[in-house]
Amino acid sequence: MRTKTLIFLLLASMPILAHHAFTAEFDASKPIKLRGIVTKVEFINPHAWIHLDVKGPDGKVTNWMIEGGSPNSLFRRGITKDSLAVGTEILVEGYQAKDGSNKGNGADITLTDGRKIFLGTPGTGAPDEKPDK
Amino acid sequence: MNTLAASPQSFLSNSRFACSACMQQTFDKAVEQAAFFRLWSRLPALSGMAMIAVMLLPAPTASQVIQEQDRAAKTSTKTWVQPRTPDGQPDLQGVWTNVTLTPLERPPEFANKPGLTAKEAAEYEKRTIQQQSHDNATDRRGYNEFWAERGTTVAEGGRTSLIVDPPDGRIPPLTPQAQKAEEARARFMQQHPADGPESLDLSARCIMRLDTSINHHADRSGVPMLPDAYNSNFQIVQTPGYVAILHERIHDVRVIPLDGRPHVPPSVRTYLGDPRGHWEGDTLVVDTTNFTDKYNYRGSGPNLHLTERFTRVDANTINYEFTMDDPTTFTKPWTARIPMKATDDLIYEYACHEGNYSMTDSLAGARAEEKKTAEAAKKH
Repeated sequence: MRTKTLIFLLLASMPILAHHAFTAEFDASKPIKLRGIVTKVEFINPHAWIHLDVKGPDGKVTNWMIEGGSPNSLFRRGITKDSLAVGTEILVEGYQAKDGSNKGNGADITLTDGRKIFLGTPGTGAPDEKPDK
Repeated sequence: MNTLAASPQSFLSNSRFACSACMQQTFDKAVEQAAFFRLWSRLPALSGMAMIAVMLLPAPTASQVIQEQDRAAKTSTKTWVQPRTPDGQPDLQGVWTNVTLTPLERPPEFANKPGLTAKEAAEYEKRTIQQQSHDNATDRRGYNEFWAERGTTVAEGGRTSLIVDPPDGRIPPLTPQAQKAEEARARFMQQHPADGPESLDLSARCIMRLDTSINHHADRSGVPMLPDAYNSNFQIVQTPGYVAILHERIHDVRVIPLDGRPHVPPSVRTYLGDPRGHWEGDTLVVDTTNFTDKYNYRGSGPNLHLTERFTRVDANTINYEFTMDDPTTFTKPWTARIPMKATDDLIYEYACHEGNYSMTDSLAGARAEEKKTAEAAKKH
């Protein structure tokens, strides 16, 4: 019983590690909200990366990299790296890399007209789910 | 170019046909296609529910559930004939996916319920999809759900666990020595989460898709073949004397000889083990041993004897069953069954290390944290 309690306590204090933890790479205390222009899309495994130029309030432009999931799932639906055209303005919400670099994990990526890129799961009944055509 | 399909099936074929031309698609078309994908994804849920309704039994026992499945399989195979390869092997070839909403172990809420009724299954599916969806989470860390391919239905018969033996649907207790080893491993990994590349998971290092996570709750492993959050696709190719299985994630291939040759000597160890296959009737039985000490799925290791059984039961289904037999780890062997469904999808390349920024970022993050901690300590 003590052994089981010990394991439970150890496990309860650990973040759930999948193939690599979100918390190993990104910082949940550093949320980011960026508006920028897509400069490059890398459709690669294990994670796709979307590069964008972000203009700061001082006018200075910095380049960010935003991590997505594996592109193979998107390929199966006809989405390719060119589906998101270079030059498109996008809004990114996510979390910044733990080492403070200009990288983030792209939880939400939205076009400027409000349409979310990479829409939600079918059939969840989520309130903002668009009706099927 | 009009890629709007009248039916889900033609949408699928249009996607592949249009691939070379889809470079010219505007993003608008991609968004419209996504809406069709969402309709298409509902179909498996509906057919799954219909299947469950057909096999409905009040409060079935584990053996009743499995008997029902076998009966249904036999009924559905009346008009289906096992296809064979030119050399007479049952033909398992094609691309298959094993996504399912049924968890490996039976959740406590279903403690005495090996199978759900059609209504319960539908409710469970809806609830699980919503809970799993990263779009609905309040703490949104992962990517949008669009990146995921999790499946939308539970396993046949409304099964509440992939594990079919022991009957309680749970992994048997670990041996005392295995428990101690797991605790020590957990302690070590907690203290050394990212010393260097060797600290990270084998698939984060783009070596092999094996679950070496600290608590195994991901239950995602290439061997045995467990479903993943995405890319749970496998291609089976057969030639006289061999069966080869390509795992999309992370481009792992198992080449299984059928000629009855013995296993390699115990001194030779490989990440995915050393497989040997033979046919028992129309079932492919694969015995795998000789795992390395890096193999750690659910606490197991080099002493594991993994047995997998592949039986094609209809045009679109392979019943995949695996048994984990490791007396140094598990007090009893345990067996799970996961349906593999045929898919028209292609397997795409998974050039893992080409894009492995995440490994360097995980290590850089750990170094940054250490620096922060050290600087804070200096101030005191």
